[in-house]
Amino acid sequence: MTATLRMRLPAAALFLSAVFATGAAMAAGKIAVITPYLAQPGTQFYVEAFQAAAKDKAWDVNVIDTKGDVAAVISRLEDAATQKVDAVVINVDPAQVEAGLAAVKDAGIPVVGMDAGASPYLVTNVTSNGYAMAADTAAYVANRIEGKGNVVMFVFDAFPPVQVRGVIADAVFGNNPDIKVLDRVTPDVSDGGIADSRAKMEAILAANPDKGSISAVWAAWDQPALGALQAIEAAGRQDEGIVITGIDANPQAREAIAAGGNFEASMAQDFHGIGAAAAEAVAQTLSGKPPKSSVTYVPTKLITIDNVKE
Amino acid sequence: MASALKTYGTLIGFVLVVLFFWIEIPDTFMTAKNWLNISQQVSMLAVVAFTMTIVMVMGDFDLSVGSMASLAGIVAALAFRDGHGVWVGVALALAVGLVGGLLNGALVAYVGILPFVATLGTLTVYSGLAFLVSGGKTIFGRDIPTAFSGFARSGISLTDTVSLPSLTIVAALVLLVVWFTLEQTTFGRRLYAIGGNKEAARLAGIRVRRLRFLAFGLSGLGAATAGLMYASRVASANPTQGSGLMLDAIAAVFLGMTMSEEGEPHVLATLVGVLILGVLGNGLTQMSIDSYVREVLIGSIIVLAVASSSLGKTKG
Repeated sequence: MTATLRMRLPAAALFLSAVFATGAAMAAGKIAVITPYLAQPGTQFYVEAFQAAAKDKAWDVNVIDTKGDVAAVISRLEDAATQKVDAVVINVDPAQVEAGLAAVKDAGIPVVGMDAGASPYLVTNVTSNGYAMAADTAAYVANRIEGKGNVVMFVFDAFPPVQVRGVIADAVFGNNPDIKVLDRVTPDVSDGGIADSRAKMEAILAANPDKGSISAVWAAWDQPALGALQAIEAAGRQDEGIVITGIDANPQAREAIAAGGNFEASMAQDFHGIGAAAAEAVAQTLSGKPPKSSVTYVPTKLITIDNVKE
Repeated sequence: MASALKTYGTLIGFVLVVLFFWIEIPDTFMTAKNWLNISQQVSMLAVVAFTMTIVMVMGDFDLSVGSMASLAGIVAALAFRDGHGVWVGVALALAVGLVGGLLNGALVAYVGILPFVATLGTLTVYSGLAFLVSGGKTIFGRDIPTAFSGFARSGISLTDTVSLPSLTIVAALVLLVVWFTLEQTTFGRRLYAIGGNKEAARLAGIRVRRLRFLAFGLSGLGAATAGLMYASRVASANPTQGSGLMLDAIAAVFLGMTMSEEGEPHVLATLVGVLILGVLGNGLTQMSIDSYVREVLIGSIIVLAVASSSLGKTKG
């Protein structure tokens, strides 16, 4: 009796393996998609779109979620290298998993980044264009205030992806001779960014009490825009026509835009588009014509009250 | 025959799992390179599980090891960011691990709180501290010296393409130390006596409180070591990165315990437990089996192994 019970573990393992082995059918390409962040909505959208595109191409896609464990991403990259998959797609900061990327590179397997960050180990990184997002919102501000007035900028130059947004907005405002940048504020983001942005904006409002002395607030991401909105409303100056824009179009920002107040516009990233473009980049790489650029941009969309409900 | 199967059932199961992958993935699984890969992949878990074995020998648990691993990584990374050398950061992190472990030991041995409750409390405290001192941020990039992150990528070359990873060597050294401590010293044998019967051990003149205090210190030290290995491997430190280690370590010790006639933890058996988890992770990934199915499989195998062992005991 004891012996039979003891033998159950291996027997069960063999049974289960028989069930799953049949699933590994031959396919046009074996692709491993590895991420620690599958629980996050953005990542889910990328991966779903990638899988849909892969289905059309008859790829055998293995989605590996390490549930927040970045070291496990390295382990799974090593396994993918051993397994000799045809391509790997990652959604994690390449700098944190270089040990695994090196193993994959040694095995001669191409890696495509899906909003992963730039790295020499990647064929290309498919992501949204930070330059374009900043240009769209800054141009929106410039046009709404008809090229003249005082603008408050919220920036964060310590974080490269956000720093580029500030540079572009500087250029757009600088190109309008009648627009004056009143202040270029770097909020303290340790509390999420809203509270300190609000405090900074309150101080700026107090220093510029006259109606029309502030025409717009351009924020490099949504949190400072929301903080500025709170400050303007708390100061009772919401009817002065101060235009606010953010970037990312997070749910709180969308709500504010839908409410029709000062917060007028933000930029939405196309998560499905990123997943589909990553699949396209893999397809090109497998066909021997990899994307030329180390970064592949997917268009973003300006969100205003006209399309916020879509 | 039956008794041999009873003792070696889990080991046989492990061998069958290995054979299965060998047959299913003939080209790449049973290669020196892949096994060295596996050894590196499980090295952090192994260190936590080996030192967890020390407290589990006494019938205790340490739930705080995952948080401690995260905290240790953060402490070292912050030291690096402030311009201290690699050895200063490593020493500070290990000191934090030892002190944190001894705090667990004091709560369990001297205050008399159940280990489950005491270490559940400190799990939260250490995790909170890791967030507090790091400001919730991941410390990476230039803040981490290449001498530190390079360690996890280094090794001793065996052939042109295969090398013995440094992380594997660290885990092997910890295994040796823990094995010697538990199996070859009076200290270790006394821990087993405490696990057998605390009251009897105390009446026999064993200083139960002091030994439990020290054993938790070793567990904390092991957790900090694993945290440093993790931080080196990912070349960064994040306040949550060690959290997955605790449950896997306890699972590995339990798997190992099924191999003992008395249901006692032994560190070599823990090694088999660790390898079962590591081989399943590696082999199932190579077979392109969905990661959630993999979770279900690994959990089921743990339950099956432990269940068959305990059923075997009641009937046998």
